[in-house]
Amino acid sequence: MMYVLYAFLILAGLGLVLGLALAIASKVLEVKEDARIKEVEKMLPNYNCGACGYPGCHQMAENLVSGAETNLGKCKPGKQDKNYDPIIAYLSEHPDEDGTKHIPSVKK
Amino acid sequence: MSYLAAFVLAIISYSLINNVVLSRFYGICSFIGVGNKIKSAASMGIAVSFVIIMASLICYPIYHFILVPAGVAFLDTITFILVIASLVQVVGLFIKKFSPSLYRALGIYLPLITTNCAVLGVVSENTMSNLDFGMSMANAIGTSIGFLGVIIVYACIRERLESSNVPNAFKGVPIALITAAIMAMAFLGLSGMVG
Repeated sequence: MMYVLYAFLILAGLGLVLGLALAIASKVLEVKEDARIKEVEKMLPNYNCGACGYPGCHQMAENLVSGAETNLGKCKPGKQDKNYDPIIAYLSEHPDEDGTKHIPSVKK
Repeated sequence: MSYLAAFVLAIISYSLINNVVLSRFYGICSFIGVGNKIKSAASMGIAVSFVIIMASLICYPIYHFILVPAGVAFLDTITFILVIASLVQVVGLFIKKFSPSLYRALGIYLPLITTNCAVLGVVSENTMSNLDFGMSMANAIGTSIGFLGVIIVYACIRERLESSNVPNAFKGVPIALITAAIMAMAFLGLSGMVG
């Protein structure tokens, strides 16, 4: 029965070592991302339906924050009070570092 | 035959004659999926090569110095998958950091290297045929060269195909599959070159 214990210990140990290595790698290779992208993504419906033309809500949020996308209405499942209004409010309160505001509008 | 000669012959054999994609039929998913642009095909090839070589390098000592002495050699597949998945994560982080555009171009095929049978195929072939460390590395290097070369050649052909007049019924993936089949037949001509 010893091999059950060995199997358990070896896999647990290997998992621990690889997990630690990955944790270090993700710290070293971290990509600085605009913190607003995450906030805007949270306010989108997060269905990742792709109806806006982007692969998912994350890419839509990226483009909204950078100002490349100005039409929030492309997000078809979004609701005026639940999604559009909070995003517009958030982006008018949080301008770019140099102060420019990219405030999207809603055109259905 | 000296060991070095055997090593070089094994590399030639694994890269050309027993080509990973065209005669062993491993790793078709990324071959068809990414092989339409030379740049993304080359980077995919390099990413897969890196994972194959590193996985063989790491899995060999784990198998022979940990699993076999402990009498749990039956854990080989799950251990290899664990190592490969971690390596793919690191490659993904690396590409995301240094080339975001490449990260987007590779898309879903990057995490899918984890389940690319070319990687697991090489590693478990090494242990199943009881190859020693040198021959395992020859297998890994040969397979990587084979995959990289074939996916780049394939991408070149497909870029040319895009501007040529293909019958409507064969546009896109069908003509790509036919291309792969003809390439496999061409590689068949190399069989028997090395014993």
